[in-house]
Amino acid sequence: MFHWLEKNPFLFSVGVFIVIAFAGLIEILPNFAEAARPIKGLKPYTVLQLAGKEVYKKDNCIACHSQLIRPFKAETDRYGQYSLSGEYAYDRPFLWGSKRTGPDLHRVGNYRTPDWHANHMWNPKSVVPDSIMPAYKHQFKNIADTETAYAEAVTVKKVFNTPYGPEIAPGKAAYEKYYKSILLPEAMKIAKAMKNKDVEAMVKQGKVPEIVALIAYLEKLK
Amino acid sequence: MSLTEMQGYAYFFLTIFLVVILYAYILHLYRSEKKGIKDYEKYGKMALDDELSDSPIEEHPNAKNNKKEN
Amino acid sequence: MQSNAALEYDYDIVKLYMWTTVIFGIVGMTIGVLIASQLAFPELNYLFGEYGTFSRLRPLHTNVVIYGFTVSGILLSFYYSAPRVLKVSLGESPLLKKLAYLQFGLYLIAATGMVISELMGITASKEYAQMEWPLDILIVVIWVLWGVIMFGLIGMRREKALYISLWYYIACFLGVAMLYLFNNMEVPTIFFSGGIGAWYHSVSMYAGTNDALVQWWWGHNAVAFVFTVPIIAIIYYFLPKESGQAVYSYKLSLLSFWGLMFVYLWAGGHHLLWSTVPDWMQTMGSVFSVVLILPSWGSAINMLLTMKGEWNQLTENPLIKFMVLASTFYMLSTLEGPIQAVKSVNAIAHFTDWIPGHVHDGVLGWVAFMIFAAAMHSATRVFKREIYSKSLLEAQFWIQTTGVVLYFTSMWIAGITQGMMWRAVDEYGNLMYSFIDTVSVLHPYYTIRAVGGLLYLVGMFMFAFNLYKTATAGRKLEKEPQFRSPMA
Repeated sequence: MFHWLEKNPFLFSVGVFIVIAFAGLIEILPNFAEAARPIKGLKPYTVLQLAGKEVYKKDNCIACHSQLIRPFKAETDRYGQYSLSGEYAYDRPFLWGSKRTGPDLHRVGNYRTPDWHANHMWNPKSVVPDSIMPAYKHQFKNIADTETAYAEAVTVKKVFNTPYGPEIAPGKAAYEKYYKSILLPEAMKIAKAMKNKDVEAMVKQGKVPEIVALIAYLEKLK
Repeated sequence: MSLTEMQGYAYFFLTIFLVVILYAYILHLYRSEKKGIKDYEKYGKMALDDELSDSPIEEHPNAKNNKKEN
Repeated sequence: MQSNAALEYDYDIVKLYMWTTVIFGIVGMTIGVLIASQLAFPELNYLFGEYGTFSRLRPLHTNVVIYGFTVSGILLSFYYSAPRVLKVSLGESPLLKKLAYLQFGLYLIAATGMVISELMGITASKEYAQMEWPLDILIVVIWVLWGVIMFGLIGMRREKALYISLWYYIACFLGVAMLYLFNNMEVPTIFFSGGIGAWYHSVSMYAGTNDALVQWWWGHNAVAFVFTVPIIAIIYYFLPKESGQAVYSYKLSLLSFWGLMFVYLWAGGHHLLWSTVPDWMQTMGSVFSVVLILPSWGSAINMLLTMKGEWNQLTENPLIKFMVLASTFYMLSTLEGPIQAVKSVNAIAHFTDWIPGHVHDGVLGWVAFMIFAAAMHSATRVFKREIYSKSLLEAQFWIQTTGVVLYFTSMWIAGITQGMMWRAVDEYGNLMYSFIDTVSVLHPYYTIRAVGGLLYLVGMFMFAFNLYKTATAGRKLEKEPQFRSPMA
């Protein structure tokens, strides 16, 4: 009754496919719409923060840091309120991570300041003497790719209806206008709070180093 | 009945259904071998006699040059 | 008989993948040893500027060993064993052979693109799916080509029934195709933003919790369909062939195959225990992970019983040693996984070093050992030469086994220590340790792990040398050996 299947490659493959596709259908699909709903009052990332998220991805912070606080007392004591599904509604991709060589960062914006981050990224041992985290000095030099971040904002607005205002619109001109009128002032605020003269000077010249974007992103994690 | 509940029931009955299928399958395999309808274990030889010159366990009817003079 | 007399198996493609297996193995494992050492000695982060930090190199390590070393090893075994159990030579169809060359060429391009883009930090940031969309498309092409070749060969077969290994190869092909497509659904930003920004950048189709679900449905099943299914395909061919013993029970293999296919996909949820995915999914992931022990052990026990009455081969033949230890590690790993998937254990184990420890007893002990054995076994047939050195193979076996044991024992201790320290509270209910305390305490274990990895890498070099010497300086054989691979 069954053995003919192993002699019939086509039906065999169909059989295998049905069996393996089945789990996904039942497990993943039904919950899709519900899990995508944002919590009340959640704002999408600004372009500067998105650029910071790109730095987070590029230097792959996810290799050692999670963004998921589990519902245990030990975790809520250490990191704050446990994570809710709706908080991640604008995270594409999700950045939960799978390993905590360093601490969780989901609410790091609540208990660290921009100047702490600046010192930490320049030399982790200056704030945590036993730290095994490498320094990320190149982030103070490399310019953040804000154009790509802007392109991302335009894309998610168009494709996924992420609630951005009219200031996010396709094309180079719209980007340049946004850069001057919204992004640079936002970056300046972060640069000032970092208490780092060199960074401040760079932003004044109209250049946004990666570290400013990254800190803008980390500040948003609350 | 909510969607989650339905998933729960569907899941429960599916599991029972599959367990039945699994045991039926095992029973079927061993029975048909005992009755001599099928010999499954001969297929294990496929890995051992795998030279092009070895004759297949069961010849594929459409294979090229399968008419061998024995 | 006459009609087949002139026909021989065509090993040209096998040779190509043999060398990529070796090269990617060396590269991937060297990076692995480097990043393991960085955790113990952080100064090592500054060897190559921004390109040498732990964080930048870690995905490079995983991708090179998975998509370089392991996939090469799988394709090498496929091109060697699949034609044999179908009794058809790849050379019989010039078209399929050309496609196989094309596939290899594209594979090299994709692998190079992967290494460069990941060094530059261009990443989609999903674990084991870091590549951006242009490379994703290339990979789909490569995979489709493999499917065409696989089913092309099957269409030409002389053996009517498909051997066990082929079931697993087919499942590997279908499973990876389905999972890869769904997980890598991305929207390239260049097409929607009026042409601004980096052309290779994309955003995931899914957000937050959904993205996590799809990702771990993939992440877990990449383990299933890259590290388990095709490796089972390898052992079902190479162990019986090398030992000259037919598989212990064909019926058991039928059961474990369908069991594994059905159960494996459900277990993905265990990566997301205690997260924001709904409870019932977490429970299901947990339960199915435990059920998964059955089909996994079914295959492993089938392999061990294949050696029934022939255990003397274990002492005489190092290749049998590799394969028997591999099935044992497979059993260990598939028991350890379900244990970690139990919710209460997971609460301690998740996010700790126990997880990489678990992964590595699987990949080092099971996957890589099988690939070494398969490559050596095929080398004697492909090059028609004896294996260059038996004692080198023996030494490699013991050095690497020591390496694996050091690796997983140290990571067990490290993981459980860390998991317990994170949650430890004093008599007033306050946390006892600051985070950095739980990092500093791991230093000795990180050091032991790096040493274990180094031993394994040394073994990898011995393997590379042995294989190279076999191909160039091994004693010539008159004809292909039937079972046991001859070695000097």
